[in-house]
Amino acid sequence: MMFRPTRMAAVVAALALSLTGCAAGGETSTNESSQTLTLGTLMAPKSFAAADSDFANVSPFYQAVYDTLIRMEPDGTLVPMLATEWKYNDDKTVLTLKLRDDVKFTDGTVFNAEAAKQNLERFKAGTSADAQFLAALKNATAVDATTLELTLSAPDPAFLGYLSKDASFMQSPASFGNADIATNPVGSGPYVLDTAATVTGTSYAYKTNPDYWNKDLVHYENLVLNVYPEQTSLLSAVKSGTLNGSLIDISMVQEAEAAGYKNNAFEGNWVGLMLFDRAGTTNPALKDVRVRQALNYAFDTKALLEAVNQGRGTPTTQVFPPSSDAYDASLDSRYAYDPSKAKSLLAEAGYANGFTLQMPSTPLVNASIFTLITQQLKDIGVTVETVDAGNNFIADLLAAKYAASYMILEQQSDWQLINMKISPNAAWNPYKSADPKVDDLIRKINVGSEDEQKTAAKELNKYIVEQAWFAPWYRPQNSFVTDAKTNVKLQTGNVYPYLWSFTPAS
Amino acid sequence: MYRFVLRRLFSGVLLLFVITTVAYVLLYAGGGDIARRIVGPTATDAQVALKSSQLGLDRPLLVQYWEWLTKAVTGDLGRSWFNGQLVSTGVSSRLSVTVSLVLGAVIIAALISVVIGVWAAVRRGWVDRLVQTVGVMGFAIPGFLIALGLVSLFALNLKWFKATGYVPMTTSFGGWAATVTLPIIALSIGCIAAVVQQIRGSLIDALRQDYVRTLRARGLSFNRVVYKHVLRNAGGPALAVLAVQFIGLLGGAVIIEQIFALPGLGQITVAATGQGDIPVVMGVVVATAAIVVIVNLIIDLAQGWLNPKVRLS
Repeated sequence: MMFRPTRMAAVVAALALSLTGCAAGGETSTNESSQTLTLGTLMAPKSFAAADSDFANVSPFYQAVYDTLIRMEPDGTLVPMLATEWKYNDDKTVLTLKLRDDVKFTDGTVFNAEAAKQNLERFKAGTSADAQFLAALKNATAVDATTLELTLSAPDPAFLGYLSKDASFMQSPASFGNADIATNPVGSGPYVLDTAATVTGTSYAYKTNPDYWNKDLVHYENLVLNVYPEQTSLLSAVKSGTLNGSLIDISMVQEAEAAGYKNNAFEGNWVGLMLFDRAGTTNPALKDVRVRQALNYAFDTKALLEAVNQGRGTPTTQVFPPSSDAYDASLDSRYAYDPSKAKSLLAEAGYANGFTLQMPSTPLVNASIFTLITQQLKDIGVTVETVDAGNNFIADLLAAKYAASYMILEQQSDWQLINMKISPNAAWNPYKSADPKVDDLIRKINVGSEDEQKTAAKELNKYIVEQAWFAPWYRPQNSFVTDAKTNVKLQTGNVYPYLWSFTPAS
Repeated sequence: MYRFVLRRLFSGVLLLFVITTVAYVLLYAGGGDIARRIVGPTATDAQVALKSSQLGLDRPLLVQYWEWLTKAVTGDLGRSWFNGQLVSTGVSSRLSVTVSLVLGAVIIAALISVVIGVWAAVRRGWVDRLVQTVGVMGFAIPGFLIALGLVSLFALNLKWFKATGYVPMTTSFGGWAATVTLPIIALSIGCIAAVVQQIRGSLIDALRQDYVRTLRARGLSFNRVVYKHVLRNAGGPALAVLAVQFIGLLGGAVIIEQIFALPGLGQITVAATGQGDIPVVMGVVVATAAIVVIVNLIIDLAQGWLNPKVRLS
């Protein structure tokens, strides 16, 4: 009598255990997993509306449901997708694309030049962070059902590349006004979002689009994209074998490998200092190129790479990646660690007693980084004043509030990189630094022949490094891990491999 | 009794109104440049202005609040600014996850606490000392540490349970149990520690009362006295502690859900507050305030059932 509650609790516990035991055993059938691709991501898409879409980390969410006009192969080559061929006029301001005539959106609407035109116009006028991709697009005309003519205000060497990304996601025009378009996309892509099985923000389930026009790109029946904003849960998911693949933090590589995953390493970013104030507007010292060079010499980048990224990566002093025409291997070691050289350069520039440099910090970045920066610059006599910018870190940098800052930035294709960090209008050139030589080289890259473009790009890179516009430390390795059942080809210019690059290993 | 319930309901609704109004004003007044945050740092001013007007943020606060309130009364809490999902859908689908976790933890805690609490109070001696010591430890170790330990042992090494993810009960009961068992255990341990102490204390007090001696003198067995009379008297305070624990566990669930990647209220709260997704934060405020009101109401009724004196007061 006395032990009745105990007995009941024991029965409940036993029941629970037996049920879970069954489930755990019964759910992992190999047959199912070969047909479902389950990937881990760090963030969820903001909105499925094509005009509000993003790319990079969230690209797989959109690529599952939306086709693009042009497709980019893993090595960066552009190949036909919804557009079968394309051609520029002589001055590269009018682009004519031939479109497929056999594509339907999942709501039955036919894809044609008019649909493409409307999508491009909506993206350009929309609130996507990438809306500036189409800044050069002046006019889109549907010449006939399968001919689309795009007029550009000026040549844009990156334009075709943009048409392989979110800028040309094709959403059914009939769905533009749908109240639920942010959570229920209507495209012509390889998959359809299974809204019933999807928990917005956490887990997205997709089923094959039965009428998809390009079966060659579909390697799995189902697709599941899980979002792990927490490193802890991502690591648990990897270690328990829940995922076929995921982008992971470098600190997790060893444990992932121990759990049987393959580490597909790539270098997609560069880490170091942005020396924004090249005219010395807020910090006069930075106006002198010798000071900026001294800041480059001040960092023991090999030691930093070892300390911060377990040595996984390559020291560099240039912002262009090895895949780029502008890349010059000798520039990776242009400013080898040399604090005494840094001090003498500072002395030559009239800062023998050093100077004070204000830089922002943010809780988003490991605090030890800022300690290391302060320490290394102190060794050459530069006093760093760190200001906590909190969550406004990026906004403050872009608003030209700091002369210099620590930053991690991606390395894209040349023209995109130039327009992101170097040209006078680039977002990451907040002080609008301009230099006649830089402007001239950018113009050559824009309108020159292919050979002229390559030569100018190399020259621009060398000049920027000599002028010490930045103080890069290294290109850190990122890791995309895949399990034994999954193969993947990494993507040039995107942190997340493209969806069709995943294939079953067998 | 009806009047008692009605009065409680009315004060509950009033409380909801006050909480949501205060929350709305605080959130919107301190919101900063939300449109800028949504469209990203590299967006143009025109894009920011467009987003701002799309969301109706360019109108006076009072107008915005009135629109929110009138719609909220009909169950329409608007849409998330960051993923476009209906707030009511997002919150209700996640509420079921969190409530099943918290409810599971409270039920398990209640069952286990009664057993251990009675055991400690009746046996005293070394049993009591052991229960007290273990109880303090259970209370002192943070829930997330327990969760990490459970994941590592039962999910990653023994593979008995799922390390992450969630399967709805309607899809597969076994799958559901495999995903919620460890989170529920992690949540319930602190709760058990708290409630055991309460039950043990109340029982020890009650066992010293004159009526126990009287009942025993009339020949009732010790077990019957404990379970039928003493526990009922000691149950009131324990129930109150359990209610407080329930509400506290809603907060504790935030971290546990992050660790197990469960699509619960915790995950949506962390994401929404981090981004400044105010419609969602408001939805979470409404839902949790409603839960608190309902739990208090249920506890009041249960107290009344256990102890008729409460009904009179």
